[in-house]
Amino acid sequence: MGFIDSFNQNFIEQDRWKYLLNGLLTTLFITFFAVLLGMLLGFLVAIIRSTYLRTKRMLIPDIICRVYLTVIRGTPVVVQLLIIYFVIFGSVNINKVFVAVLAFGINSGAYVAEIVRGGIMAVDDGQLEAGRSLGLSYRQTMIHIVIPQALKTVLPALANEAIVLLKETSVAGYIAIADLTKGGDIIRSQTFSPFLPLISVAVIYLVLVMFLTSLVNVLERRLAANDKR
Amino acid sequence: MISVKGLKKSFNELQVLKGIDEEINKGEKIVIIGPSGSGKSTFLRCLNLMETPTEGSIVFDGTEITHLHDREINRIRQRMGMVFQHFNLFPHLTIRKNITLAPVLLKKMSQEQADAKAEELLRRVGLPDKADTYPAMLSGGQKQRIAIARALAMDPEVILFDEPTSALDPEMVGEVLELMKQLADDGMTMVVVTHEMGFAREVASRVLFMAEGTILEQNTPDKFFTSPENRRLKDFLSKVL
Ligand SMILES: Nc1ncnc2c1ncn2[C@@H]1O[C@H](COP(=O)(O)OP(=O)(O)OP(=O)(O)O)[C@@H](O)[C@H]1O
Ligand SMILES: [Mg+2]
Repeated sequence: MGFIDSFNQNFIEQDRWKYLLNGLLTTLFITFFAVLLGMLLGFLVAIIRSTYLRTKRMLIPDIICRVYLTVIRGTPVVVQLLIIYFVIFGSVNINKVFVAVLAFGINSGAYVAEIVRGGIMAVDDGQLEAGRSLGLSYRQTMIHIVIPQALKTVLPALANEAIVLLKETSVAGYIAIADLTKGGDIIRSQTFSPFLPLISVAVIYLVLVMFLTSLVNVLERRLAANDKR
Repeated sequence: MISVKGLKKSFNELQVLKGIDEEINKGEKIVIIGPSGSGKSTFLRCLNLMETPTEGSIVFDGTEITHLHDREINRIRQRMGMVFQHFNLFPHLTIRKNITLAPVLLKKMSQEQADAKAEELLRRVGLPDKADTYPAMLSGGQKQRIAIARALAMDPEVILFDEPTSALDPEMVGEVLELMKQLADDGMTMVVVTHEMGFAREVASRVLFMAEGTILEQNTPDKFFTSPENRRLKDFLSKVL
């Protein structure tokens, strides 16, 4: 069978290309909202942890955060996804994409937290001291002085985390979500020709990742130029 | 204005301040000198509660401040400026924002009032054209003058200086000391830890010698430098003068 025939069979017949397009949209949707959730969780955890490390306050929230970080970073994301879908929401009828956003967001939050905490701890203690010596509260000093500086240093790392997450969502098929990976796999199972659908899936991920990476590079250059002002 | 009684401070087992009694009156310029590690910074940082004293009392303007709650501590700090060895300007903010951030956030002034105040302060510290630049573009001496302007923006009743010229290249020390002299002449109450003996002689109303967590000797600068009594102070002066 020639390339044209194979192409027709895998993508044109029965509009099979729609598996890839819809899958891609699902993948992007899950990634986008999981990144948002991950950032939210990650910042929250990072602030609690660095507050505890610097001031010895918030011990209980800090313990909870540490358990969260250990469990999430110590187990595979697929297992987390399966547990959230089949155990935690096992007895209720719930939207699978929502479950995926939740699972990947919670997973990403742990990595974001460690990145952001590193950024916060890297801000010179003198900054916090200067803020406090002016009479600003701890919270005001964090919001207006420490976190903006931390954010600037960790922005590229956070963007990379989002790119990693995009690839990690490819296991969403485990709970029967028709994401990009699953879309390619469905075509393969219908046409019994694995090459084109799977390679296409890989190429789509690759192009996305390369595009996003180039954006991160631009961002990094901008930030570096900004530092020299 | 500030009355310190029996002030002690320990970090774990290490006792850094071993009982300090001191009265600082309005308008006084106290200069503290002493060897490295003697507790000068710790003393200064206890005054504005950046460190919590282990024992003793500090009365500021009639209020005992060592057992206050965070909120009240913040309010006390608004009235006590602090200038650091390493300036600690906020690198992500313009000079104007560095100066106006605290008074605006703490609702002492509107942004417009604070901006006007920043203009005035920048003129006063001799850097009127720097409002829109960032700290990274300034020399060390300029940074420290901005740090002083930032402290002044809160209209503090006293300013604590912790070795304000120690991190500066020699040619920039003068401009900062000159500004501090101006402040002194304007009547500001100042507590200054420094190794600049010339400044102490010229500006101080009293000079304190601190060693191993206590104040061993204090006097007017005249007597302090010409007829020191304590043997350790004599040793110290013979090395630094
Ligand atoms: N946060 C802290 N934790 C533990 N030890 C500290 C802390 N701050 C200061 N010390 C110790 O307290 C002692 C006095 O320090 P301090 O900074 O007050 O001295 P100093 O007189 O200002 O010295 P220098 O002239 O070097 O600045 C030093 O031995 C120092 O190591
Ligand atoms: Mg010191």
